[in-house]
Amino acid sequence: MRQFFPVEDLARDERFVQTNMAERLADTRNPMEPTSKRKSAKSRSAGNRLTPDRPDASDRARGLMHGIMVGEIQALEGAGRTAHDFEAGDGSGDTIPFELKLDMARQAWDEARHVEISAKLGDWMGTELGEFQENTVLFEAACSNDPVLRLAGVNRALEGLAIDVFTQMKEFGDLAGDPYLEFCEDWMLADEVTHVKMGSDWLRKVTEKDPDRRTKALEFQQVVDKLFSFGGARGDHEESSFKLARRFRELAGFTGDENDAINKLGVDAFNERSQALKQAQDAASAFADA
Amino acid sequence: MGTTVALMGDTTTTSDDEASSGATAASTARAPFAPWDRRDLPGMFSVAETARRVGNYKWTEMKLFEALGGWIATVPELDIKMRLGAHCYHHAWHADLWNQRLPELREMKPERLTVPANDAIVRFIAAMTEPEAPELTIEKLVGVYRVLIPRFISAYTYHRNNTSEITDAPTIRSINFILQDEFDDWRDGEMMLQSLITTPEDVQRAASHQAKLETIMVEAGGITGPGSIGGSSSDGS
Repeated sequence: MRQFFPVEDLARDERFVQTNMAERLADTRNPMEPTSKRKSAKSRSAGNRLTPDRPDASDRARGLMHGIMVGEIQALEGAGRTAHDFEAGDGSGDTIPFELKLDMARQAWDEARHVEISAKLGDWMGTELGEFQENTVLFEAACSNDPVLRLAGVNRALEGLAIDVFTQMKEFGDLAGDPYLEFCEDWMLADEVTHVKMGSDWLRKVTEKDPDRRTKALEFQQVVDKLFSFGGARGDHEESSFKLARRFRELAGFTGDENDAINKLGVDAFNERSQALKQAQDAASAFADA
Repeated sequence: MGTTVALMGDTTTTSDDEASSGATAASTARAPFAPWDRRDLPGMFSVAETARRVGNYKWTEMKLFEALGGWIATVPELDIKMRLGAHCYHHAWHADLWNQRLPELREMKPERLTVPANDAIVRFIAAMTEPEAPELTIEKLVGVYRVLIPRFISAYTYHRNNTSEITDAPTIRSINFILQDEFDDWRDGEMMLQSLITTPEDVQRAASHQAKLETIMVEAGGITGPGSIGGSSSDGS
């Protein structure tokens, strides 16, 4: 078995269709409708946030749950690979501490349960396996040959995102009167806080005597955080689809400053996207006028 | 009752003995071993031999959990992918139990004894982890569930049944927890294999791969080398 495993070789059965970020954003079943087109600014559905009173709530929730399931499959694969890919050692070079390998094995078990939970929830919501495309960007972030970058990119950035998403899905279950969904999301949320805390603790320990390595890892985390802000869809602002779950993030080792920085990334990405949209609209108008 | 125990050859103090030593009916003085406690003091393994075996267990459990973790991404069958994740953790936990036991056996640098029993075991692990392609799930599972885990079950059972039940009670306690996992995982793995092996060609594939791995394992003499289950080592036979 190879030491490092490329994302394009991830093994799937024939039901799964894999895609990348650009193709996923073009999937019309995941619309990001401008707020101005919605009927009432006072409605819960006025923003991009997933709420039961949205007309597209069912499809969006099903798509999101399927996305969670394939994300959990990749998280399972990523944790397993980290348990496999690096020799036990003092944390320098290509080695990781024995206890970190044990934590990754534990995370693999947790992620396996999350796949089981989300597959059952998807079935409960009426979704077939493979009904939506699978974006493999999560495993790509897990694929780095530097274990510290994996901790930053996966355990802190992506598992941090999972905290935000599961908090939102738990809220959705509550609002929709679906205790089954709320119950499951609450349990998965508990595991994600544990995984992020693992990432925070190990990143600190492994880079204790190597500040350059820590800086590089935190920069990488920012890149992943920005990538997964989905063009500003995550943050504290009203337009965001996912609110930052600050309390749970703090339990997991994020500082207030770090949460502020992630929020700012979301705001910046949102502004960039709005500006690009406006430029495209202006160009289209100019073309129509001509 | 004292007479009965004596006829059975028990050497522990009996209630009759207590009476003759002056204990009264109201006394709380009791024999150090209750009549139902049949644990024996002698054991087959010294501290050093126990540490050596535990080091071999830890090394092999590590190789197993690493392999299971690495294979998750290579297996297309979703149910098996998830089981491998759960089993990966079981074996990591076993490695952790042994890692904690080593300093209690006077090995303050556990990594010093975290070694394979011999070169053949290293070759066994290399051969077991060689299959990577997605169509080789049968080979992956055969190596783990029809060769390695049965070897773990036998080595652990031998160790548990031959070590001192009193001086080495912590090792026995760990083995009992671990054996429960091994039996459960073996059953899971065997059922996954039976669900995959559906044609005479599959049977041949499984048997052929098992024979190849079993041959190397026999050369190794088991997880702790010759004497893994007694019989042929100077200290364990």
